[in-house]
Amino acid sequence: MKKLSAIVLFLCLAAILFAAGTQEATSLPAAWEAQGTPLADVRIRQALRLAIDMETIVDELFEGMAQRAVAMTSPGSWLADGLDPYSYDPEKAKALLDEAGWPADYTLDVVYYYGDQQTVDLMAIIQQYWATVGVKSSFRKLEGDLAAQLWVPPADRKNGPSEVKWDLAYAAVAALSENEFYDRFESTASNNSSIPWQSGLDEKVQATRATADVEQQKVAFKALQKEINANMYNIPLYHQLSFIYTSDALDIAGSTLGNDQFSFEKNILDWRINRADGTLYTNGGPMEFYEAPTVNPGLYLYQELLFDKLVNADANLTPAEGMLAKNYSVSPDGMQITFELRDDVKWHDGRAFSAKDVVFTLEYLIKTPGLNAVALNTFKSLAGAKEYLDGKASSISGIKVNGNTVTLTFSTLDPNALLTFSQWPILPSHLLAGSNPVTLQQNSFWQKPVGTGPFKVSQTVLGNYAILERNAAYYRSGNGNVKKIFMHASGENDSNLVKNAESGRIDYAWSKSVADAQSIGAIDGMTVNPVNIRYTRVFWVNQYPHPANIK
Amino acid sequence: MVLVAIAAVTNTRGGRFMIPFIIRKVLVLIPMLFVISFLIFLGIELMPGDAVDFMIPPDALATISQADLDLLRAELGLDDPFLVRYGTWIAQVVKGDFGYSLQSGVSVRDLLAQKLPATIELSLAALVISTLLGSLLGVVSALNKGRLGDHVLTVAGMIGVAIPQFLFGLVMIVLVVFQMELLPVGGRMTPGNEAFFQRLDHLILPATVLGLSMTAGVMRYSRASMLDSLSKEFIRTARSKGIPEWRVNLIHGLRVAMTPVAVLIGFRLPILIGGSVVIEQVFQWPGVGQMFVAAVRSQNTPVIMMIAFFSVSIVLVASILVDIATALLDPRVKLS
Amino acid sequence: MDRLLTLENQGKLKTSTMNRSVRKLSANMLALVGLALFLLILTASIAAPLISSYEPNAIDLKHRLSPPGETHLLGTDQIGRDIFTRILYGGRISMFVGLGSAIGAALIGVSLGTYAGYTRGVLDSAVMKLSEIMMSFPQIILVSILVTIAGQSLWNLILIFILTGWPSMYRMTRSQMLSIREQEYIQALQAFGIGSFTISFKHMLPNAIGPIFVNITLSTAMFILQEAALSFLGLGVPLEQATWGNILNVAQDLNILRNAWWVWLPVGVVITLFVMSVNFIGDGLRDAADPTQVG
Repeated sequence: MKKLSAIVLFLCLAAILFAAGTQEATSLPAAWEAQGTPLADVRIRQALRLAIDMETIVDELFEGMAQRAVAMTSPGSWLADGLDPYSYDPEKAKALLDEAGWPADYTLDVVYYYGDQQTVDLMAIIQQYWATVGVKSSFRKLEGDLAAQLWVPPADRKNGPSEVKWDLAYAAVAALSENEFYDRFESTASNNSSIPWQSGLDEKVQATRATADVEQQKVAFKALQKEINANMYNIPLYHQLSFIYTSDALDIAGSTLGNDQFSFEKNILDWRINRADGTLYTNGGPMEFYEAPTVNPGLYLYQELLFDKLVNADANLTPAEGMLAKNYSVSPDGMQITFELRDDVKWHDGRAFSAKDVVFTLEYLIKTPGLNAVALNTFKSLAGAKEYLDGKASSISGIKVNGNTVTLTFSTLDPNALLTFSQWPILPSHLLAGSNPVTLQQNSFWQKPVGTGPFKVSQTVLGNYAILERNAAYYRSGNGNVKKIFMHASGENDSNLVKNAESGRIDYAWSKSVADAQSIGAIDGMTVNPVNIRYTRVFWVNQYPHPANIK
Repeated sequence: MVLVAIAAVTNTRGGRFMIPFIIRKVLVLIPMLFVISFLIFLGIELMPGDAVDFMIPPDALATISQADLDLLRAELGLDDPFLVRYGTWIAQVVKGDFGYSLQSGVSVRDLLAQKLPATIELSLAALVISTLLGSLLGVVSALNKGRLGDHVLTVAGMIGVAIPQFLFGLVMIVLVVFQMELLPVGGRMTPGNEAFFQRLDHLILPATVLGLSMTAGVMRYSRASMLDSLSKEFIRTARSKGIPEWRVNLIHGLRVAMTPVAVLIGFRLPILIGGSVVIEQVFQWPGVGQMFVAAVRSQNTPVIMMIAFFSVSIVLVASILVDIATALLDPRVKLS
Repeated sequence: MDRLLTLENQGKLKTSTMNRSVRKLSANMLALVGLALFLLILTASIAAPLISSYEPNAIDLKHRLSPPGETHLLGTDQIGRDIFTRILYGGRISMFVGLGSAIGAALIGVSLGTYAGYTRGVLDSAVMKLSEIMMSFPQIILVSILVTIAGQSLWNLILIFILTGWPSMYRMTRSQMLSIREQEYIQALQAFGIGSFTISFKHMLPNAIGPIFVNITLSTAMFILQEAALSFLGLGVPLEQATWGNILNVAQDLNILRNAWWVWLPVGVVITLFVMSVNFIGDGLRDAADPTQVG
C-alpha cells in the first residue's frame, strides 16, 4: 500500500508542476511610468486600429451580421462621406508604432464588462492581431461598480492625471439620438474619462445641439465625425445589428420593422396570426417584475403594448403622428410644444385618461434615478424644472394645462424633446401618485401594470410566462386577429430563445446576438430580419496621463 | 419518520430520554443558524459593488448620474452600516418578515411561495425516479452478480455519475424534444394546463436528468444490500425448503427496496435543493435554483439570504431527524 | 505439518512478492482499466507540446468550425483554434483544479482530523462545529457566493474548492482516528510518553491512509464536474483560459450543439472518461484497502 501511495503522490505532484508551468510569465516592468501615456500619441491609436482586421472579423466571427464602423454613426444620411476607414494594414501599423516609439515592453490593459462567449472570443482575436504587430495586451472583465471604474473624469480635464486605471475600455453605446454618441467627447461631459480637452472639439460638439433643424444638425455631426476620425479620439469597431425573428404563422400586415430596443409603431392591431386561438408567442416576459420604462422605454415588447406615448414614432424612431395627443405642434424656435389630448382614452382599469396624468408623469419621472439621459435632459430643459427639483416649487411652471391641452415651455432648447415624448409613455397618476419616485421599480404597480395601450395584462406567472390580452376598449381598432400575446419569461439575454423558436413557440422576438440569428436562421418557418440600429461597439482609449497598469 | 418519532416519544420506556435529547439538538441549532446567517451576510457585503449597480444595464451606466443612484441606495437602505443592516434583517426574520427583493420590491416570502413548490416538485420527482430505478437496477445487478449484466449496469451507473449534468440535459433536449418531438421544451406549465397530470410532460425530462445522476448511488447501495441479505442463513433455509427461486428473490427484492428509502431520503433531500440549480437553468424551470443564481449575480441580498438560510435549515433539520431516528433504532447510541 | 514447515522455510509458500493491496488492486479489472485511462489522459496532457504542434490559443478565423480532418484532428472551434490541442492543454488546468483542490482539501482536512481526532479537547469541538457549519451549506450555493465575492480566477476557484472540501476530509479522518485511538498499541505508545504529534501522524495516520486516498480520488472527480457546472452558470474559470468546462460551455449555443458536434462531444467524452476512471480507481482502492474482502 505504501508503494502504491508513493506512486500516486508522485504522479499528482508531476501533474501539478506541469500545470503550474503553463501559467503566464509575469511581464517586464514598463518604462513609461510617469510620462503621461503612449496612448496620447495619435499615431499609436491609429496603429492600434490599423492592426485589427475588422473585415475578416465581421465576415467570419459575425458571419456578415454586423457592420464595420468608421465612426460612431451608422452608414446613412447622418454619416459623413470620405472618412478614413483605416482598413487592415499591419505594415503601416508597425511603421506608425516605430515612428511613435512604442515601448515594446508595455502591456495594454484592456477592460470589458460583457461576460458572453462572443466578447471573450473577440478579445482573444484582437489580442492576437495586436501581438502580430508587436503590441502586448491583456484583457480583464470588470465587476462590481462599473461606473466608478469606467466613467469618472479627472479633476483637470486638460492635463489629467487620469482617474481611471485602464488603457482601453471595450464598451458599447446604444443611442436613441445621435447626440448620445457624441456628447461624451466634450471636455465638460460628466462621463468623459478618457478624452482630454482638445482645441475646437467642444465647440463642434455644442454645434450639434444648437439647432432643432435636422439638416443643420447633420452638417454639424458630419464635421464632428471628420474631426474624430482624423484624430482617432476613440476606436470605433463595429455596428451591431438587431435581428427581428418572425415566424411564418405571423403576418405583420406590411408594417416596417425597426429598432426594437425602443418604441415604434408596429401596427400590432392589424397583425394576423395563423393560430386557432389567436395567440402570438414572444419572449421577454417578467422574471420577477415588469420593467418600468425609465432606462429603456421600449426594450420589452410589453412596454410598448401596455402603455401609450403622447406621440408615436415610426420605424426610424422619428416622431410621426399623435398617439395620446390627437394633435401637437412645435413652435418654430423649438421652445414650446403644445399637445391637444384625446378625450376617449381609458386606463385598463376603466378610469379616464386626462391631462392630469401627463403632468404627473413628467413631474414624477424627472425624479426617478436611472431615467434615460435623453428623457432627463428634456424634462430638465422645461422652464421651472430646476426650481421644482430644488424643492422651491411644488410643480414645474413650464407645464400649463388648459382643459385637454397641455403646453410645454422650455428654458433651454432640447432638439430631442419630441423624440422623448415619442418614447416615454404616460403613467397613471391615480395609481402612482404619492409613491416615492426614487423606488419606482420596487412599487407593486409593476407586478400588474395598468396602462392605456392596445393590450392589457391578463395573467402572470413570474419566471415562467405572462399573457396579455387585447384591450377591447382601446380607442383604435385594427383588422388583425391577435387576441392574446404569450410571453415566455426571460431577461434581456434570453438563453432559451432558440429552443423556444425551434419548438414553434416564438412568433415575434428580437435580439442582438449573432449566435441566435444563426441558429434561428436555420429553423424552417422562421425568418431573420436584420435591422440597423444605433448601437456601436468601440474601444475608448485613455489619453490622460496614467501609469502602466500592468507591470 | 415523524410518526416514528412521535411513537417513540409516547412510548414510556424510551420517551423520557428522548425529549431532552431532541430539545438539546434543537437548542444547538439556533446559534448555528445565527452564525451561518452572519457569515452569508458578511459574504454578500464583501462582494464587489452592490445591488444598485445591477439595476442599470451596463451600456446605459455611462449616462446615468451617480448622485441619482446614491439616492436610490439611500432609499433601499443600502448605505447603512453593515451591522445595522444585519441587525435589521435578523429582527425582521424573527418576526417572520423575510424582506423584499431589492430588484422588484416583491416580498421574498411571496417569491419563495411561488418558486419553492416548483423546486420541491422537481426534487421529489427526481428522488422518486432515482430511488425506484436505482433499487430495481441494484436488485437486478445483484441477482446477476459477476455476470455480464452486473458489469454492464455497474459501468452504466458510473457513466451516469460522470456526465456533466447540463450536457446531458442539452443532449436530451435535442434528442427528445427536437428530433422525437415527444415532450415540451421547458417551463413548468402552459396556461390552461395547470393541474398536475396535465403538466406532467413538462416535469418528466428535467426530473429524469436530475434523477439519473443519483441513480448510480442508489443502485450501488441496493446491490450491496441485496447481496448481503441473499447470503443470509434464512435464505438457505427457504431454498432448502423448496420455495421457488423467484419467490425468494421477490421477497428480498422488496425488502431491499424498502431499506434505502428511509436512509437515502434523509441523506439526499438536502442535496437536492442545491443540486437542481443547473437543471433549472437548462429546462427553464421557474424554481428556487434559478432565482438564486439571478440573485447572486445581481447581489439581491434579501433573496440570497433567505434562500441560503432555508437550504441550510433544511439540511440541519434533516440531520437532526436522522440523529433522532438513529438514536431510536440503535440502542447503543448514548442519549446523554 | 512438517511438509508445510519445510515448504515455508524454502520460501515456496509465498504466492507473490507483491504487496497484498497491490495484488488485490490488480485483480480488480475495472480499477486497472480506470488506472490505464487516467494515466493515458494525464500523460497526454502533460506531453501536450510533444503531441500537438498547434498552440491552444492560435486563432485562425478563416478556418473556424471546420470538422475533423487531416490538418485538425478534432476540427476547430468557433474562432479557429484546434480542438484536440485545447483539450490537451485544457486538461492540464482541469486536472490541476481537480487534483490540486482535492489534495489541498486533504492536506488541511487530514492534518486537522488526525491531530484533533487523537487529542480531542477544545480544538476538536471547535473545528467540528466549524465543519458542521460549512457542510450544512448546499455546495453550489456556497461556491456561488464565494466565487462572486472573490472574483473569477483559476486560483480563486482552487482556494474555494479547498475551502468547501476540507470539512468532509476532516470528518472522515477524524472518525478513523476515533476508532484507531482505542487500540492497544496506541495506549502502549502513550505509556512510553511519546508526544501527540508523533503518535497521531507517525503511528496512526498510515493506518488510515486507505480511505483518505479513496476520498481524494472521488473528490477530484467531483471537483472537475463542479468546474464544468460553474462554467455553465457563468461562474467558472474566466472564459479566455482553456479548461474542459470552458470548452464544453459553448454547447449552450444550439447551433454548435447540433451542427458542430466535434466542438463539444470529444470534451464531454473526455470529461466523462476521466471522471469514470478516477471513480474506478477510487472503488478499486476502497476494495483493496478493505480488510474484510478476501484477497
